[in-house]
Amino acid sequence: MEKAVYFNRDLSWIDFNERVLEEGLRQDLPPLERFRYLSIVASNFDEFFMVRVAAIKQRIKSGNTGLPPDPSGISPKRQFKKGADKIRSIFRRQYTCLEEEVFPALAAGGLELVRPDSYSISHIDYLESLFMREIYPVLTPLKLEDDNPFPSIKNLCLHVIFLLISETEEEAERISIIQIPPVLNRIIWLPGETGNSKARYALLEDVVMAWGGYLYQGFRVKERMLFKINRDADVSVDERRDEDFIEAMEEVLEHRGKSMVVRMVFSPGSERLRDMLAQRLELVQEDLYEIAGPLNPKGLLDLVETQGFEHLREPVWKIYSSEAFSEDQSPWERISQGDVMLHLPYQSFDPVVRFFQAAALDPQVISIKTTLYRTSGNSPIIKSLEQAALNGKHVTAVVELKARFDEERNISWANRLEKAGVIVIYGLARLKVHAKVSVVIRREDNRIKRYVHLSTGNYNDKTAKLYEDISIFTVREDIAFDAGLLFNMITGYSVIQSMRKLMIAPINLKDRLLELIERETRRSTQEYPGKIVAKMNALADIDIINALYRASAAGVRILLNVRGICMLIPGVPELSEHIQVLSIIDHYLEHSRIFYFANGGAEELYLSSADWMPRNLERRVELMFPVLQEDLKEQLIAVLEAYFQDNCQTRLLSRDGVWTRQKPPPGEKPFRVQSYLLSQARETAEHPWVAREEFIVRRRPPANI
Amino acid sequence: METKNRLVAVLEIGSTGIRLLVAEILENGKWQETDRAGKPVALGRDVFTSGKVSLGSFLECFAVLQKFKELLGGWGIEDKDVHVIATSALRVAQNRDLFVDRVRQETGFRITIVDGIEENRLMYLAVRFALKQDLPQFWQAHTMIIDIGGGSTEIMLLREGKMVGAHSLNLGTILIDQQSRLSLGSAQSQERYLREIIRNTAGLLSAEMELTHVKTFVMAGSDIRLAAALIGTEMNEHCRIIERDRLIGFVKKIQSYSIEACVQELRISFSEAEGFVPGLLVYKQFLEQTNATRVVVPDVSIREGLLIDLVFGVDPELQEEFFSQIIASAATLGRKYHFDEAHNRLVADLCIEIFDALTLEHGMNRRERMLLEVAALLHDIGVFIGGANHQQHGQYIVANSEIFGLHRDELDIISNVIGYHRGKPPAAEDIHYIALQREDRILVLKMASILRVADALDRGHSQRIRHIDVERKSETIVLHTRGSWDISLELIGLEEKADMFQGVYGYKIMLT
Repeated sequence: MEKAVYFNRDLSWIDFNERVLEEGLRQDLPPLERFRYLSIVASNFDEFFMVRVAAIKQRIKSGNTGLPPDPSGISPKRQFKKGADKIRSIFRRQYTCLEEEVFPALAAGGLELVRPDSYSISHIDYLESLFMREIYPVLTPLKLEDDNPFPSIKNLCLHVIFLLISETEEEAERISIIQIPPVLNRIIWLPGETGNSKARYALLEDVVMAWGGYLYQGFRVKERMLFKINRDADVSVDERRDEDFIEAMEEVLEHRGKSMVVRMVFSPGSERLRDMLAQRLELVQEDLYEIAGPLNPKGLLDLVETQGFEHLREPVWKIYSSEAFSEDQSPWERISQGDVMLHLPYQSFDPVVRFFQAAALDPQVISIKTTLYRTSGNSPIIKSLEQAALNGKHVTAVVELKARFDEERNISWANRLEKAGVIVIYGLARLKVHAKVSVVIRREDNRIKRYVHLSTGNYNDKTAKLYEDISIFTVREDIAFDAGLLFNMITGYSVIQSMRKLMIAPINLKDRLLELIERETRRSTQEYPGKIVAKMNALADIDIINALYRASAAGVRILLNVRGICMLIPGVPELSEHIQVLSIIDHYLEHSRIFYFANGGAEELYLSSADWMPRNLERRVELMFPVLQEDLKEQLIAVLEAYFQDNCQTRLLSRDGVWTRQKPPPGEKPFRVQSYLLSQARETAEHPWVAREEFIVRRRPPANI
Repeated sequence: METKNRLVAVLEIGSTGIRLLVAEILENGKWQETDRAGKPVALGRDVFTSGKVSLGSFLECFAVLQKFKELLGGWGIEDKDVHVIATSALRVAQNRDLFVDRVRQETGFRITIVDGIEENRLMYLAVRFALKQDLPQFWQAHTMIIDIGGGSTEIMLLREGKMVGAHSLNLGTILIDQQSRLSLGSAQSQERYLREIIRNTAGLLSAEMELTHVKTFVMAGSDIRLAAALIGTEMNEHCRIIERDRLIGFVKKIQSYSIEACVQELRISFSEAEGFVPGLLVYKQFLEQTNATRVVVPDVSIREGLLIDLVFGVDPELQEEFFSQIIASAATLGRKYHFDEAHNRLVADLCIEIFDALTLEHGMNRRERMLLEVAALLHDIGVFIGGANHQQHGQYIVANSEIFGLHRDELDIISNVIGYHRGKPPAAEDIHYIALQREDRILVLKMASILRVADALDRGHSQRIRHIDVERKSETIVLHTRGSWDISLELIGLEEKADMFQGVYGYKIMLT
């Protein structure tokens, strides 16, 4: 075998965002759709700077001592440089597109952004009075003085910085910063003009820039600039402080306001203010990103939802209710008949919500256990858990407070759950609980029965409408037993115990994956080559990649659908010639992890919460579970096959790291997997398949004597 | 709603940790494990060094038990269905009663301290369950069952499935580790130290059964279970098999590993690694005393045994099988002291005939019948020491022996029955008698008086009266012998020994 080689992880991640960018650049898409992609690119980069770039900078700062070299062989400095070049080019294309294509197209379609240089007299009147009435009272100016410590600037928030000149004293200058209040809506709708169907809007930050000077009596604004910063977000809690974890967590959130600044994004306007900020924040030229258009476009995503501009966006993708669950049958009854699979968001998340709601109200339910990683505060699931606890049920919620950017939100609802009597477990020291699993224990006629829900995605009703995920409900005893053991381990009831059907990271998930790949390698022959098909968000684990290289060398056919980072280099003779890597970026965010192993005809299918990354396999609690019911296996194989037939939204990775968009071959029909899955969901919803072999007769159960 | 299902929980406070098992007992007499958990607590390390459970360990136990209480809450298990047992470490702790009381106050758990021989019994139940019908040799050849824990080692010997010996040794991995480290240190010296202990033990065991004849070796315990997971192959859903050479080779390989090396090399946890090497050394050395070619490792423990006991407690078939194991174990004890097996066996049979005919009069149950049988079977065991006052010698021997399946309390009853099978009736100065509970004292009288009659019927140790028919008259119980021969010797014997029977039951005894 040739010496193993890998793509650099961060550069591969940047490539992923370039793919998202390219969707935004597509002129055949409606402008609001393009706007959505372009704003996702911007917010993705925020996270990237706060985590990855911060890490690289720390690495460069520390002189790279004691750390293993990057598997791709690239030095941190070179990586930083190469990444920065790529990122700048992406930004250029992103903002050129926004400014020259998307905003004009939106304006032509009746949704017009008005910047200060085109405010009309009536706009000025309206905005000025709005500013005085509603904005002025919530602004807090921070004075900047040379000899005083620099005021704390909040991560990710937009700020305006003013250079002021005294109207009375000669040469007296002052610098002040105002945070754009996050509580106010960034989109300010301008009053309609009669006989005009156009909706015009201004930006909050523009208004603050224009009239913010009113805050400084006796001073005149000389220069102004809009900016935001990214701080190192990888600050973690002191894990030894178990007993007051929440408190420690709150301290971290506070501390995050002071951690290292890694980047500044700003609007053009003042070189002086730019240089002064850069110097005070200890930033160098490479950390400065000048942007002509609106900063933080994701904050403007409300535009996508604006009523009445259907011609500017894609028709709504309907979410169908699952045919498996009906109104007149309890979830318990249905799940007892056989495993049920849900494919979000083609199918609705409702059955999951109902699962919790039914459990909260059902007098036969004894207890509920669940893992909540990222969820919304007003989530119906949280409400159900609260209600269940108030109804006297034994409710356990494993809450992950370290879900990076959600902690503030999590802490408040976690407190609420505790108040209701829920046993809230605040995760584990040093490991995030990323597995998504729930168990309901129910007392039935003469048995205790456990209902288990296992999923590739979070218990979050909001993202369930945007992220593609697969989950399974089951009453299988061995899976339920394992799920119980998993909860015992992550709630502190037990040491690690061996399991029957579930694979858990960081215990045995990775070993099991390696074993499965090895088995495929072993079994592969010239006549019957092995086959591995896998779909995931990221592939970055070197051991797994090496195992895949070995499998490829043994003739195993390997098809990978990797949405984001991929460090594996496909198609290298004698190394990876049997490996093909595809990536799909489309309407819904691909999020499920599906793994298929041909296993000499006895096919095995697994679903997982884990990507094939060291982080997931070694430093998080993740779950991989088998799909055991034949009809579901067939369905899932069909889904997986469809992912590799796509010739519209798929890009193919070449051995030199280029992602090429696939086109329908001449004479062949276009096939877009997400549209196909949508049509499948419609079909099954309209023609429900009934599993029943007889009618369910409702009668009072015979009295027990 | 009326529900028939029942969840039970078994908690075991062992010398290395506290473990929990939840099972659902089904209607058909089966059970299904639904949950398990375990947390390490170093109780043994405390108790075997200082004799006491330290405050730190107590608090640790308490925290674990609180968590288990919470876990059980998730199952909605009623208190009466939670069974908490404690084994070797707590058994010998000086402050155990205090510990038991504190736990009771703080958590509501009632701890039952299980003695060694009871541990044996529970282990036997669990092993039998795990093996199922999958190992016919178990019932046909010589078998040894060994369970090495942190604080004690349980050993059972079976000949063609019959229990011939059961022992609980004060030999546990924690003790071994401490002693060998204290005194010598190196891996070789540890092995030498162990070899000596085990050779001595094996010598004692060979009085009951020749260890070299052992064909089936069943090894239970967490250390060997871990080894079986690493180097064994599956036999059935509960058992794995390790080939003899594989096990010996494996132990040789890991013998010099430190705890850290065990964790690294074998990918096991720290709490598992502690005691792993000494434990496996003991297993290996016992294995080397036998000719067994492979080892069966069941994944069960006394927790499953207790569960089986709870589920099958009233299963008559299992109970009979179990009683027969007790009788077999008692017979082995008799043989050890060269008892007159023919006489003792006949007296036991006659006791049973009288017992069965007089159930209305004595009101004793099936278990007490078994106790009487054991007492009768061993009543003359004291002759080994001397004929005169052999009832007292017998009482002493039995009171200080182990019989598989019998609790301490039961051995006390049996030894008293033996003590009164001849000679003076109980008196106020008999401290062993006075020490019994009131109900047990009555039991002793009831049993001893039957035993005296039965013993008289074989006064000549000639086994002429093999059966009797019992006839109840208003004031007399008539024992009819079958056949006609001179019974004058037996009549004299009855004259001497029937007085107690008359005193207890109010009937005269006549022999015809």
